Amino acid sequence: MKNLKLFLFIIFSSICLNLASEEFDYEIIADELSSPWSIAMIDDNNILFTELSGQLRRIKDGVLEQESVSGVPEVLFAGQGGLSGIILDPDFKDNKKLYIAFSSPDEGKSTNTLEVISAILDQNSLTNVNTIFKAFPSRRTAAHYGARMAFLDDGTLLITSGDGFNYREDAQNLDNHFGKVIRLNTDGSIPSDNPFINQKGALPEIYSFGHRNPQGIVVANGLVYENEHGPMGGDELNIVKATKNYGWPAITYGKDYSGAMISPFTEKDGMEQPIKYWVPSIAPSGMAFYDKDLFSSWKGSILISALVPGDVRRLVMNNSEFIEEETLFSDLGRIRDIVISPNGSLVLATDGPKGKLIRVQPKK
Amino acid sequence: MLKKSLYLILSILIATALVVLQTTLSNLMWLSSVDMPVTIGLALKTFVGDLIGMNSSGAIPLVGLVAVGMLLAYTVAKILLIWVDTKKSYAYGLAGAAAILAIVLLMPLAFYNLDLIAGARTALGKTILILCGFLSGYYFGSRLEDKE
Repeated sequence: MKNLKLFLFIIFSSICLNLASEEFDYEIIADELSSPWSIAMIDDNNILFTELSGQLRRIKDGVLEQESVSGVPEVLFAGQGGLSGIILDPDFKDNKKLYIAFSSPDEGKSTNTLEVISAILDQNSLTNVNTIFKAFPSRRTAAHYGARMAFLDDGTLLITSGDGFNYREDAQNLDNHFGKVIRLNTDGSIPSDNPFINQKGALPEIYSFGHRNPQGIVVANGLVYENEHGPMGGDELNIVKATKNYGWPAITYGKDYSGAMISPFTEKDGMEQPIKYWVPSIAPSGMAFYDKDLFSSWKGSILISALVPGDVRRLVMNNSEFIEEETLFSDLGRIRDIVISPNGSLVLATDGPKGKLIRVQPKK
Repeated sequence: MLKKSLYLILSILIATALVVLQTTLSNLMWLSSVDMPVTIGLALKTFVGDLIGMNSSGAIPLVGLVAVGMLLAYTVAKILLIWVDTKKSYAYGLAGAAAILAIVLLMPLAFYNLDLIAGARTALGKTILILCGFLSGYYFGSRLEDKE
């Protein structure tokens, strides 16, 4: 009987608490999730996260609420589209405001676009829902939305907008939102110091251009780090600066999925080089800057979750200079997002229809 | 029979090469339009690279895709020619065009409206690709006519 209890205890522990790692403790916070995509930490035990299929879910005091948050707008859940990025307002504790990016179907049409809303979280509902951004023009495709967000130190919001796959050349034109980083005030108005605000023919929301499918963006030490999917190869980590052109698709280290060359060029004057690129692709997704003490040796590193083959890349940086790369958590499968909890632990979202939220801490 | 098989293979290879050429040229023309230094030497090198890449390292080898499309379309054309009195060059030309039309229209349906062949993203690009299919089919039909 005693042995049976011990056996059951071991089984229970392994299911609930531990996957397997020699250096880290993995705690499954929630599982059986429908393609978790983006995580926002309210505090260590209160978490909001999106599921691509259209639900905003909440972990309250460490426990997953069974009912999803109501008041979320209708999303187009197809291809890579769905309920995507989420970020809390810098004053969330006082104003309960948050921002969500998603693929939005155009009413009565077969097109869709990237949309960003602001809303107030009131108990388990979103109220005061306002559209603050809709990418122009709409697209027929359901891919390459970008849909990640970050706040600059001046309180303006950066939004990544992907090239829509079929519209890659538009990333080089300033008359549209394909392949751009967008900068807005939190009410959706355009900051008066936006870089292209006075340029004829340019959309005033644009901050930088020449991006493909930016899937991670984080602001740290006054720098804007952004990662983006290349095609077959050519995933990039960039430092985004206002007005700069990041070259897609005129320069790239990747090839098309058909095997064709997208461009034989990898550099050109006036086009920015990535500070790091990956061939073959790792399919970078979420990104975080580690500035806590729990993993003290990681301080100052950039952590990028990756879908292929599925791991986290820790990039040792010296501000804008890449030093070296370490691969972590390669036993968890495709990882869609990574955030830092206030206590310094990491929270990862694994990808797919049976996704999980996993907290990572040093092994005790 | 051996000659017919050779013409069939040549027809598939011509269609594949033309699709690759259209993809290469459409990419390079755009690059040139944004002041990238495209030269004739670079264009040739890119075409050869695309010819190899699109048939070996892509998600689906182009030559296989074209072969399946052409074989199906030519089979239908051969059956229709039993009842329809027309020149084989025209019949197989139309079949070749239909094969490429099916490829450029059906592939996006399977991939969320994504055009995996970059040259097929515009109406003009699709039209040129369909013409490539017609030319390869026309070649096949005219070879059969010559043989007769």
